Amino acid sequence: MASSRVAVVGSKQVKPILSANKTEAKRRVLNLYKAWYRHLPYMGLLKDLQLQSRVTWLSFVLNTVKDFDIAVTVPETKVKLRELFLKNKHVTDIRAIDLLVIKGQMDLVETMRIWKQKTHVMMFFKDTNIKKPTEFLTRFYEGHD
Amino acid sequence: MASKFCRLLRPVVANFKRTRFLQQATVATQLCRNNTQSTGTTTEKRPTIRAPDTLMRKTLSEFGQYVAENLPKYVQQVQITNGDELDIMIHPDGILPVMSFLKDHHSCQFLNIVDLTAVDVPTRQYRFEIVYMLMSLKYNSRIKVKTYTDELTPIESVCSVFAGANWYEREIWDMFGVFFANHPDLRRILTDYGFEGHPFRKDFPLAGYVEVRYDDEAKRVVVEPLELAQEFRKFECSSPWETFPKYRQITDAEEVPINKEANKPQEKK
Repeated sequence: MASSRVAVVGSKQVKPILSANKTEAKRRVLNLYKAWYRHLPYMGLLKDLQLQSRVTWLSFVLNTVKDFDIAVTVPETKVKLRELFLKNKHVTDIRAIDLLVIKGQMDLVETMRIWKQKTHVMMFFKDTNIKKPTEFLTRFYEGHD
Repeated sequence: MASKFCRLLRPVVANFKRTRFLQQATVATQLCRNNTQSTGTTTEKRPTIRAPDTLMRKTLSEFGQYVAENLPKYVQQVQITNGDELDIMIHPDGILPVMSFLKDHHSCQFLNIVDLTAVDVPTRQYRFEIVYMLMSLKYNSRIKVKTYTDELTPIESVCSVFAGANWYEREIWDMFGVFFANHPDLRRILTDYGFEGHPFRKDFPLAGYVEVRYDDEAKRVVVEPLELAQEFRKFECSSPWETFPKYRQITDAEEVPINKEANKPQEKK
């Protein structure tokens, strides 16, 4: 049971969420990464139409069906996955890592069971977000003062 | 001929009506006077304010002391708020024992969990206060059990004792980000899939971080970051609504004395 164990954060001993030490936390993160990585091919659609037709034919044969109708290739999803994991690489607190892993796990379940819709999956990619102009003149043209 | 007859009769009828009305009026005023006299003699009553029940108060404080005597390791403070509401403040380690005691002990029998919620006070060391509200049908009484936690400390789930706490705990997880250990099915319940952050935390902006709109080009709903300047907010716990001027001041919680000698708080090593 989690409550009887103790985790060390900095100099104090605290109640752990899941893992009691760094190696355990690291293993959990890697496991989550692998689980996501294995699921990626089932998520998206291939952009290349020729390839796509071949893949849909293959998917019937191999019984692999794409979950979402999204215009993202598998390599792109892999890059995004790596980016999302590396976004939190500065986190050192074991409990914070555990919480992030738990949230990532919940996200994966929501994706795998197709509770999410196309919109929610595409939220990872932020493809409609227009970068804010940073230079003086471009900001002026945009109407910022 | 008929019109002439009517002209003769009209003043008579009018007079008759007037006298009848006057009689009625005098009767009414007499009735009123009688009523005011009778209310003047009795004591003043305020039907909107609940009268304090001293007997109930005594019973509750005795029950609070009884719980503290039975669970000296976990009960840290017992108090009575709003006249007749019993609060039991406990250490977060003691949630399961305290809850199962309150549910299963013959002289408690708090079999129903009415509500389970959290309060966020960012200035405290343990910013979240978790409040369990229980009801005993057998003894017709209600009780509040309060404990505390912070963002990273997990709290033991009471689903094994009260199955009804399942969704309440999911709600707290979703809204405040308090993690419940050993919960059978902890996932989001109110926010949309992919939503980031916990909206009931005091540091979550009122407008949120993102805005959602339908994009005609992408043919789907898109989520974009939102930029809305928000002034610094100062939080005060007093009610924003107008209260009765006599009762604006909320009386402080009255602490029930418990045997502190027996109550040795569990030191965390």
